[in-house]
Amino acid sequence: MSHKWGLVVDLDRCTGCEACVVACHAENNIPTVGKDQAAIGRTMQWIRVERTWEGDFPNPKVRFQPVLCQQCDAAPCEAVCPTYASYHTEEGLNGQAYNRCIGTRFCANACPYTVRSFNFYNPQWQKPLNLQLNPDVSVRSVGIMEKCTFCVQRIKSAEIQAEAEKRDLKDGEFTTACAQSCASKALVFGDLNDPHSEVSRLASSSRATKLLGELGTKPNVTYLERGAWQDANNG
Amino acid sequence: MERRNFIKISALTGVAATLDACRAPDKQLIRFIPEDNLIPGIAVWKPSLCTLCSAGCGLQVRVMQGDAEVVRHGKQGVIKMGLAKKLEGSPQNPVNAGKLCARGQAGLQVLYHPDRITKPIKRSGARGAGQFQVISWDDAVKELTSHLTALQASKSANVLAFLGRPLRGQRRELIEKFLKAFGAPPAVWYEPFDEAVLRQANFLSFGHAMLPTLDLARADYVISFGADFLGAWNSPVAQSIGYGEMRRGRPGRRGKFVQIEPRMSQTGANADEWIACKPGTEGVLALGIAHVILSQKLAPQSAGTPAASRAGSQIAGWSAGLPEFTPEAVEEQTGVSSAVMMRLAHEMTLSGSAAAVVGGAPLAQTNGLFNALAVNALESLVDAGRDEGPILGFTPEPPLSNAGEPAAPAQASFAGLNSFAQSLLDGKAGAPQMLMLYEANPIFTAPPATKIREAIAKIPTIVSFGSFIDETSAQADLILPDNAPLESWVDSVPESGSFQSVISLAPPAVSPLHETRPMTDLLLGVAQQLGGDLARVLPFTTFDAMLKAALLPLRAQSGSVTATTDDDFWQSVQTQGGWWSAPAAAGLKSAARKPAATPADKQAPTALTAPEFAGSAADFPFYFQPYVTPSFGDGSTANLPWMQELPDVLTTAMWSSWVEIHPRTGEKLGIQQGDLVEIASQAGSLRVPAVLSPGIAPDLLAMPVGQGHENFGRFASGHGANPLSILAPVVEHTTGSLAWAATRVKLARVGGPEQAKLVLFAGRMSGFPHEEEPR
Repeated sequence: MSHKWGLVVDLDRCTGCEACVVACHAENNIPTVGKDQAAIGRTMQWIRVERTWEGDFPNPKVRFQPVLCQQCDAAPCEAVCPTYASYHTEEGLNGQAYNRCIGTRFCANACPYTVRSFNFYNPQWQKPLNLQLNPDVSVRSVGIMEKCTFCVQRIKSAEIQAEAEKRDLKDGEFTTACAQSCASKALVFGDLNDPHSEVSRLASSSRATKLLGELGTKPNVTYLERGAWQDANNG
Repeated sequence: MERRNFIKISALTGVAATLDACRAPDKQLIRFIPEDNLIPGIAVWKPSLCTLCSAGCGLQVRVMQGDAEVVRHGKQGVIKMGLAKKLEGSPQNPVNAGKLCARGQAGLQVLYHPDRITKPIKRSGARGAGQFQVISWDDAVKELTSHLTALQASKSANVLAFLGRPLRGQRRELIEKFLKAFGAPPAVWYEPFDEAVLRQANFLSFGHAMLPTLDLARADYVISFGADFLGAWNSPVAQSIGYGEMRRGRPGRRGKFVQIEPRMSQTGANADEWIACKPGTEGVLALGIAHVILSQKLAPQSAGTPAASRAGSQIAGWSAGLPEFTPEAVEEQTGVSSAVMMRLAHEMTLSGSAAAVVGGAPLAQTNGLFNALAVNALESLVDAGRDEGPILGFTPEPPLSNAGEPAAPAQASFAGLNSFAQSLLDGKAGAPQMLMLYEANPIFTAPPATKIREAIAKIPTIVSFGSFIDETSAQADLILPDNAPLESWVDSVPESGSFQSVISLAPPAVSPLHETRPMTDLLLGVAQQLGGDLARVLPFTTFDAMLKAALLPLRAQSGSVTATTDDDFWQSVQTQGGWWSAPAAAGLKSAARKPAATPADKQAPTALTAPEFAGSAADFPFYFQPYVTPSFGDGSTANLPWMQELPDVLTTAMWSSWVEIHPRTGEKLGIQQGDLVEIASQAGSLRVPAVLSPGIAPDLLAMPVGQGHENFGRFASGHGANPLSILAPVVEHTTGSLAWAATRVKLARVGGPEQAKLVLFAGRMSGFPHEEEPR
């Protein structure tokens, strides 16, 4: 059975702690760019936590929302890439083939979620910080576009392991770095083709929405709305 | 012969010739012996322990073989060694159950930080000038022992001082035993945000001089007075796990939570209801709610149980129903409407299980103890007489002879630091002549009024075991760099976060990268060399032997390890990353509180005291609240690039510090987002960029702690300003703890955005509307 990977973000559980952000940096060799580059908006994050303020003192409200590549089924980034660096994998992921990327940045323009990061310079890890690099993930060089891969290295390694042991992958056998670190279990990753997986169960919740779903991008990331005290529902 | 051995031998025999043959140092080869248990390309997971805050979370470290450039015996080369690649939470550890926070993830960057001190160094220029020369370990140890022997010989062992960050576990035991046997006074354990007030209050109210453990997963209603329990307070990972379950872990049952604080914290941002009250009046508000519950008889009859009345009896007027704290009177003092108070009282008592928690700024007032006792009394009132145990309990101490729960709260660390500094400044006989410095940076974290910088400058000999040059260790004469935590035997006894007693412990996850030595082994070695009492009370050559001796008695206890021999037991403890007791049965959790009589019962009840502030409201119109961020803690992780580039979750600021100002206040003073402002108190002034935020009371300014380092390496130095540097040395009246939220300030615009250089990540999706998406 082929897999269809998906992620559920429960906004009622998310605390905005950003453990996912640092976990993603560590797992995926995402560079830090320093103060000057950060000041002109060139920080690199595959997952970020958006916050929205509503109202004013004494009744301000904040909503946190982790935003990452939505791994769209109808991805605007793929159609615009002249070199097929942004492509659709057999398991439904929005792949990014770094060695085909020529840095047109069309995909970043097309992405309504602005989740793509561009390498304006060759990334720097001042020695010996380079020793922390994950050998399972390529380090991207200058001129390359990058974004969340759903930790494809973890997916592949789990699939290969299962195949070697001639068995099916079990739900929860592995997860993405962001979901693994998430203390309040706001992030749940899994196989949407498996009707019994936790991610499938949550994705069919009555609280489920898609981010900018009206654009027709068919995201594989599902958001569960925040609740209120009174309406404890069956989420 | 096995292939591996063949490679080893040929590598060893060939290496001498190769070394000499290579002239250019970067081409030289160092012996190439792969670590036995590592296969190239295959990751292994090793247990360790996070030391970046006091929560004591268990880690598992992803270790893979890699090439590291190292220096050994003066020669540079490349070595194949196990390298730490990723940190995850340990799934077995009862505190963090496989989860890890943002700061914990960045522990890797402590290990591989380019600013680490890689060899022993000795001061070669003027003190504090930052000139050091490398010396050999033999010379370094000789110098340390000769200083200590000289003190012993001159019968002045009492002039040795030890200044460190509070620790829990055998590392602390070692240091304390060393000092005692040497004849030195007890160590000065200093942290700016110490919890002495809360421990004292919990001791009086509940019989435990400890931080509380919250069973949020069972909570239906939580009211938090300033406790940033999802951010940086207490045991954030454990609390976040419970929070997720409270919200969505029980179908059809979603816990409500109310946050009371004048500056919206990350925790407050998640609350269902956020209520601002005037700084320092949190206790009054708690008693206002209690008044409603008592007068309207909302609590169950059994609220008069010994446990409940015990916490209540700490408050003057409790048995009379708190006549002074009518909703109207409380509204006047706190600024919170009486209608809200009455509603909260009803909601709390109608919920299945409720809890009141206090932490953070309410305790850092001159009346902090009153605030804490008042909230504790409310807590006892609302959870008494319920079927399930209380939400707020305490972690049992492990059954070790030397790990017993403190019989009384320790002295506030600020009071300890003050008397240390004072003895030096007075220059009295017996003032410290030699200082050992370990993981504390009081020159950065103590208010300048303590004159700690001047005091430390008076000490003739300063030895640091730190891994980094910071403001305080820059004053050292000799630096004997410790291994990084991932390279060390580590242990901790978490004070909270679990209803099982926990000892987190692990062997080194990776070999030392640099020529550093574990501080623990160094002290043990010195103890042996000095002989006498020291050698007798510390009869170990390495720290792991001491850990083993300390933990073996646990084999007889029921817990996470069952073993038939001592060696098996010790092996299992190491692979598991520690020892914890068997999980408590659900009903037993309530027994975690002691209603038993203690000397505390004789304590006179505490009456309301109004908060006092340094600076008059006329000259200094704003309250000022520094706050701890999850990224930087007390500033000791500000040198990690992942933490610097992590956008603050509420303001999105990176690589800088800022002050939060309400937009109306900004408008009045002509301050716009990103302007440079000056904040001045009685004690000093600083300049930072302004961030206009709706989540702060108009008469309050708030600033994150951790930035403003002048000397903390390439990633931390020169960013932002340090709010602790303008604090007046006001203390909480009963405990002597630093009242870090009790300084008043004034505010003025001094420049525009081009001077301020505020770096914001900002919402990149601002071009898109945020309205409801179709289902």
